[in-house]
Amino acid sequence: MLDDLTAAREQMAFSLGFHIIFAVLGVGMPWLMQWAEWRGLRTGDGRWTALARRWSKAVAVLFAVGAVSGTVLSVEFGILWPEFMARFGSAFGISFTLESFAFFLEAIFLALYLYGWDRLSPRAHLLCGIPVAVSGVASALFVTTANAWMNGPVGLVEGPDGELVSTEPLGPFLAPTTGPQVVHMVIAAFLCTGLAVAAVYAVAMLRDPAKRDGYHRRGFAAGAVMGLGLAVPQALVGDWASRVVAEYQPAKFAAMEGLEETTDGAPFSVGPWEIPNLLSLLLKFDPNARIAGLDVVPPADRPPAGITHLAFQVMIGIGVALIALGAYAAWTWYRDRKRGARPTDRRGLLIAIAVAGPLPFVALIAGWIVTEVGRQPWIVYQVMRTPEALTSQTGLETYFYVTIVVYLALSVALVAILRRIAAGPHPAPDRVLEGSAV
Amino acid sequence: MTTSDVLALLVLAGLTAYTVLGGADFGAGVWDLTRDRRQRDLVVRAMGPVWEANHVWLIFVLIALFSGFPGAFAALSRSLTGPLSIALLGIVLRGAAFAFRQYGAPHGGPPVRGTALWGRVFAVSSLITPFAFGAAAGGITSGTLRADGSAGFLAPFLEPLPLVAGLLAVAACAFIAAVYLTTDAARAEPGLVARLRVRALASGAVAGALALLALPLLPEAFRNQLPWLAVTVSVVSGALALELMRRGQFVLARVAAAGAPAALLTGWAVALYPWALPGVTALSPAPSTTAGLIVGVLTVGLLLVIPSYVFMIRVLRAPVERARS
Ligand code: HDD
Ligand code: HEM
Ligand code: HEM
Repeated sequence: MLDDLTAAREQMAFSLGFHIIFAVLGVGMPWLMQWAEWRGLRTGDGRWTALARRWSKAVAVLFAVGAVSGTVLSVEFGILWPEFMARFGSAFGISFTLESFAFFLEAIFLALYLYGWDRLSPRAHLLCGIPVAVSGVASALFVTTANAWMNGPVGLVEGPDGELVSTEPLGPFLAPTTGPQVVHMVIAAFLCTGLAVAAVYAVAMLRDPAKRDGYHRRGFAAGAVMGLGLAVPQALVGDWASRVVAEYQPAKFAAMEGLEETTDGAPFSVGPWEIPNLLSLLLKFDPNARIAGLDVVPPADRPPAGITHLAFQVMIGIGVALIALGAYAAWTWYRDRKRGARPTDRRGLLIAIAVAGPLPFVALIAGWIVTEVGRQPWIVYQVMRTPEALTSQTGLETYFYVTIVVYLALSVALVAILRRIAAGPHPAPDRVLEGSAV
Repeated sequence: MTTSDVLALLVLAGLTAYTVLGGADFGAGVWDLTRDRRQRDLVVRAMGPVWEANHVWLIFVLIALFSGFPGAFAALSRSLTGPLSIALLGIVLRGAAFAFRQYGAPHGGPPVRGTALWGRVFAVSSLITPFAFGAAAGGITSGTLRADGSAGFLAPFLEPLPLVAGLLAVAACAFIAAVYLTTDAARAEPGLVARLRVRALASGAVAGALALLALPLLPEAFRNQLPWLAVTVSVVSGALALELMRRGQFVLARVAAAGAPAALLTGWAVALYPWALPGVTALSPAPSTTAGLIVGVLTVGLLLVIPSYVFMIRVLRAPVERARS
């Protein structure tokens, strides 16, 4: 039996976790499609155009699921957390209002892009992709500012009853947490998309060596470059995010690092090991600096440390693994190029990328767990507690189970249909330039 | 006009757009319940490119409501938890099912297992969603809901008015869709025109009858607030649409058919204003700087979106040859 509060939280977490998988693809895929279509137009290489067309079919299905699961979230805000919305709905009003127009433009121009292949001139078609790509990033940006504001609320004033409400309309854009969160989120979206695409082609090439042709190599390369190229910037931004968290949300930071007590010369823990003094060194550039532990806040204000710590370690582990994979891929590419070979001839690299495909998604969910669970027990940090936000309706447990069942059914069908799209015959390339490098 | 009035007008505009555009997509789903293959293909072709853009109107309404009238949004969410969750379930199933069904059998290959089932899910969820929304509106009108939701999860379904309103919403969606589809069929699938026309006439008559049936069910106080102008416009456009359909003037009929539910909705909203739940929760706006900025953003945004939408419709509805030039 779940109590209503737990059920509501699990429900929120589950439906956000589901939505964000599609949302990141909605952010990243349009950029890949644009790139492929543009290359096709520039070089006359029909394989790029064929890729763009194939991707656009997958995007149509993914976008539909993203759109409906996003709608669920907007309604759930009210159904699960009406007290929160009543007090702070207008606080992120501007963020979400801007967001709604990003959705409009994305949906409109995506329709033109998907259904306009034979109706628009190639140039006009390419141009229609631009608003899609821009609005996708804009949605990620706006929605993340709303969340950043929940982590670092600014612009609060007293309402008529002496309670804090926000009137500063631009609050979400001015929160201290906004910068790192927004950048980290957008990069995460590209990372996820790139590696997912690369992994799809890696699996295809591993299953059937005949598929190591120009078409699959191009799809693979576009995704791998986008994904792996961003691994290092992502870690740097993550470092920035950690510093901001340490400054504004010390309890969350302590939970992330698993630091119970305030310590001078705090160690850095990696899985079961501890490296003495490293945490102080990393954060303050001084091996003996004092780091706040969970004990800086009263027990009632402490976030669940175990899961926050675990999620943080998973995210960092994956971040580091992706950097290593990027370095390995770059090195093989450089070596093989000199010998006139192709990186895709290496089974090892293909296997590594195929395995790495789902990892950024795991890091993505882990990162959100760090952010959201680490903020507990607050829904708006140090302003409103999560239980205060809960609806008065009961029986939320049933809701949660229904959601799980419906989303599972959708996922199964979605995978079947994406596989069908991937397996269909390739659209005939207009002109193929064999031998051009990947 | 106060900021609050403008915000309320913008919410109403979004609601109207969702009713006549999104409603047509739900109605198309209702007509998808047929066995006739050509009719179902027509539905896919008509809806495919536009339903997502049409669906964003709902999101627009939700966001404008919680940004502009946060208190009312909370009260509505609590008191309408039942119908809203059912509508939500319908929306999720319908959107996903439509995409699955559309892409489940591409390239003429054999369909993915379950595609036919998703086709059914699509049709049934297209019926449930407008019913739930209609019942929600009826529940608000009936005046029995409480801001804290204490009237209960099922309260909006337990009276005659919400049930009639739910059915009315379904019939209105089916009617608009049949009229729109007849126009499409006249261009692409002449064989279907006759039967779609019959369906338009029948669903239009049913919708009209249900609207009349709802009138005596309205609470006395609410009925006195109803602007008779709007009701008259609604009745006249509905009758006009039927007559134009009968005469085969489909393009004009489209306009009239959209006018009937739009006018009814406007009348309802005017009678309700300034309440979100009559006598219980008023639409009190967010703090004024925020509300002002939101109005600004909404207006500028609409000025960008509407031309884009019109451009999209023109490109995607035009015959392929003309669109290219
Ligand atoms: C592809 C995904 C991905 C990868 C490889 C990383 N992250 Fe991350 N991280 C996210 C995806 C993500 C995220 C899901 O996008 C989060 C959740 C909230 C946010 O803004 O970004 C996040 C949050 C997040 C936070 C919490 C911010 C907050 O609570 O305000 C920190 C401190 C880090 N990350 C740090 C790192 C570090 C040091 C990484 C590298 C080694 C790293 N992340 C790799
Ligand atoms: C605008 C952005 C977001 C808002 C406004 C938001 C809001 C909320 C709310 C209201 C809750 C419930 C209260 C709580 O337990 O903290 C919650 C919980 C949660 N959200 Fe977010 N969220 C946002 C973004 C995300 C995203 C994108 C994810 C990604 C998966 C996410 C993951 C979670 C998780 C895991 C929980 C559960 C926390 C717990 O059980 O302790 N959030 N969020
Ligand atoms: C609580 C948080 C969130 C809410 C309320 C929300 C709401 C929505 C809604 C209503 C849609 C549908 C728009 C349409 O019909 O076109 C949507 C889609 C989308 N959302 Fe979210 N969203 C949330 C979290 C996020 C996050 C964290 C991201 C960041 C990546 C994101 C990015 C997107 C994108 C790119 C789309 C476009 C549709 C797609 O490609 O799947 N959303 N969201």
